[in-house]
Amino acid sequence: MNKILLIIQREYLTRVRKKTFIISTILFPLLYLGLIFGIGYLGEKGKRKLNVAVVDQSGYFDKGRFERDTSDKSAAITLLNENPDTLRSKLKEGESKYDAVVVIPQVANWEKGFDSLILEANRTLGMESVAPVQNKLNNIWSQIKNEKLGISDTTKTILEESKVSIKPININDKTADSKLAGTIGTIAGFLIYFILLIYGSQVMMGVMEEKTNRIAEVIVSSVKPFQLMLGKIIGIGLVALTQFFLWILFVFIIYNVTRSTGSGDAISGLVGKTQEIFTSVNIPLVLFCFAFYFLGGFFFYASLYAAIGSAVNEDMREAQSLSFPVTMLVIFSIALMTMAMNDPTGPIAVWASIIPFSSPIVMMARIPFGVPGTVPWWQLGLSMTLLVVGFIFTVWLSGKIYRTGILMYGKKVNWKEMIKWAFRKS
Amino acid sequence: MALLELHNLKKYFANQKAVDDISFSIEKGNIFGLLGPNGAGKTTVIRMITGIFYPDEGNIIFDGKRFDPIKDVGHIGYMPEERGLYKKMKIGEQTMYLAQLKGLSRTDAMKKIKEWFVRFEMETWWNKKVEDLSKGMSQKLQFVTTVLHEPKLIILDEPFSGLDPVNSNLIKEEIYRLAQRGSTVIFSTHRMEQVEEICSKIVLVNKGKKILDGTVKEVKQQYKENLFSVGVDQLPVGSNGIAPFDIIANKENAHIVKIREGHRPNDVLQYLLNSGTEIHSFNEILPSLNDIFIKLVEGTPTARQFQNN
Repeated sequence: MNKILLIIQREYLTRVRKKTFIISTILFPLLYLGLIFGIGYLGEKGKRKLNVAVVDQSGYFDKGRFERDTSDKSAAITLLNENPDTLRSKLKEGESKYDAVVVIPQVANWEKGFDSLILEANRTLGMESVAPVQNKLNNIWSQIKNEKLGISDTTKTILEESKVSIKPININDKTADSKLAGTIGTIAGFLIYFILLIYGSQVMMGVMEEKTNRIAEVIVSSVKPFQLMLGKIIGIGLVALTQFFLWILFVFIIYNVTRSTGSGDAISGLVGKTQEIFTSVNIPLVLFCFAFYFLGGFFFYASLYAAIGSAVNEDMREAQSLSFPVTMLVIFSIALMTMAMNDPTGPIAVWASIIPFSSPIVMMARIPFGVPGTVPWWQLGLSMTLLVVGFIFTVWLSGKIYRTGILMYGKKVNWKEMIKWAFRKS
Repeated sequence: MALLELHNLKKYFANQKAVDDISFSIEKGNIFGLLGPNGAGKTTVIRMITGIFYPDEGNIIFDGKRFDPIKDVGHIGYMPEERGLYKKMKIGEQTMYLAQLKGLSRTDAMKKIKEWFVRFEMETWWNKKVEDLSKGMSQKLQFVTTVLHEPKLIILDEPFSGLDPVNSNLIKEEIYRLAQRGSTVIFSTHRMEQVEEICSKIVLVNKGKKILDGTVKEVKQQYKENLFSVGVDQLPVGSNGIAPFDIIANKENAHIVKIREGHRPNDVLQYLLNSGTEIHSFNEILPSLNDIFIKLVEGTPTARQFQNN
């Protein structure tokens, strides 16, 4: 037992003290936030504000309406009284101060509207930049229609704003907010997904390192191979847990700092959201379940990755092709989670959150919807029990593969061979 | 008293008898040679002694009691042929880690590491990483990590490969010193000249079976071919036929002769004296372990199949 602690300690300390750990712990959230805000910013910045000349041949439009229209500021339209051909040729030469020209043709019957107007530009435009132009024209056109039909502003408001909207409520759990729960569930599911893949492959690399460095034989002359494997898995699991706690700490610090400074930027918007989460979701239960499914899922997959690491030689490609089925299981779980989010109580959601290989991700995504409202206690209990049984099985199985694989060199191994090792009597 | 006894040890892999009924015992303080060609089963025997493998059949008695891997591995130090250390770990921490895995306390380990680092002039290495060391240097480090916990049994698989003569000698001296202080050393190699120099007793295994067991002297006696080097100016004419020996080779100042069946060395001397030949020297030629090894092993298929079970 003491020896396992030593191994855990070594695995943990060598990783946590590495510069890459510190850097990735700090940089990952920054990069993540940077990515989210950066994309938003660039999207805003990169959108081209079109300046469009409109020539009206139908006679319904007038300049005043164009100038009064403020419906969409991301495009500018001007009604011109010019020959469309002159505008077109100027546009072609690149001498026009406008980016595009729209000619509104004559129509026999105004009730039918203007289907498919052409926006002529001297380059290819995406829908992103064309949409505001369409919005503005539609807006002006509705005003004209309203006047023609004699609809007053009050009537218009009634027409536009009186709608039917539906919000689902679970009568067993009235506080559950399915939209918010969905967001938290998805984030939790994806976090587990990332942890399984990133730290699972770390376990695999660690085992491969020991095997190719030939230190495995030295170590297993002091401890049992199973202890070495388990020590490695637990040690790396603790590293993942540490990283996760540091991130929670960051969020907590940012939360407090932004709250005290009261700066109204995007982060404190996030903070407001966090407060909302605290009131509508059972946070202690979610956190407990997160820790449980995180550890259970990690043991389940990391031991499989350890078995693969022990079976391969130095070849990274060999490791990749052997670990492909395991990685696919994780990715498949994410696909199941997406389905489960659409229908958190449907049969796919229920079964996928009970069967061990997908339960860490799918159950974690369902829990924020509410226990026992969405997830009955029996499902949670069964899922947890099966996950424990599942990881005990994979750890046992991998232990047997590992014991043979770690001392075997120079042979290319496939899954069939590994299964044979696992079920061979010792 | 024997420190280690192997009784009818067997280990079968899927389709190969890696170790097939091997028994031997090693006295305390001995330096013991475990010899054999590649794939003979040496590594499997060693792995059973170090508790990495369980034998399918047979017993291992360690220090008078049945070998218990969990308890006894602390008294064994094993240096595998393929050396291995964590490349990215600092040397001091690594040595400490391996010592603690062998059951030493932190303070004990620290004391001993300092002792050994001073002895091998490695004091400045503490904060270096293994990847910064040369092959010879990491070999020295590996040796230190093997013997640091003062094991009763030290198993060295090809300890001199890759070492220059100076470091080779250093390790050799340490092996002698450890043996004198009561450690028992198993020395596995196929470099026979080192075995002759260092080992007191040897076992030769081939294809999973023991084919030779004894002290170096006994083994040589057992496989001697009654060859003598006779230093005479001129062998008596007509020696062939009546003489109690056959001439095998003629060298400058010496002739290699083989004594005929039923005769003894004295008969040769008698014959030479009687014929009035002047004798400068008369030496028995004992086979080298290398010769014996090759003679016994040659012709047997020595594939390394057993590892590929």
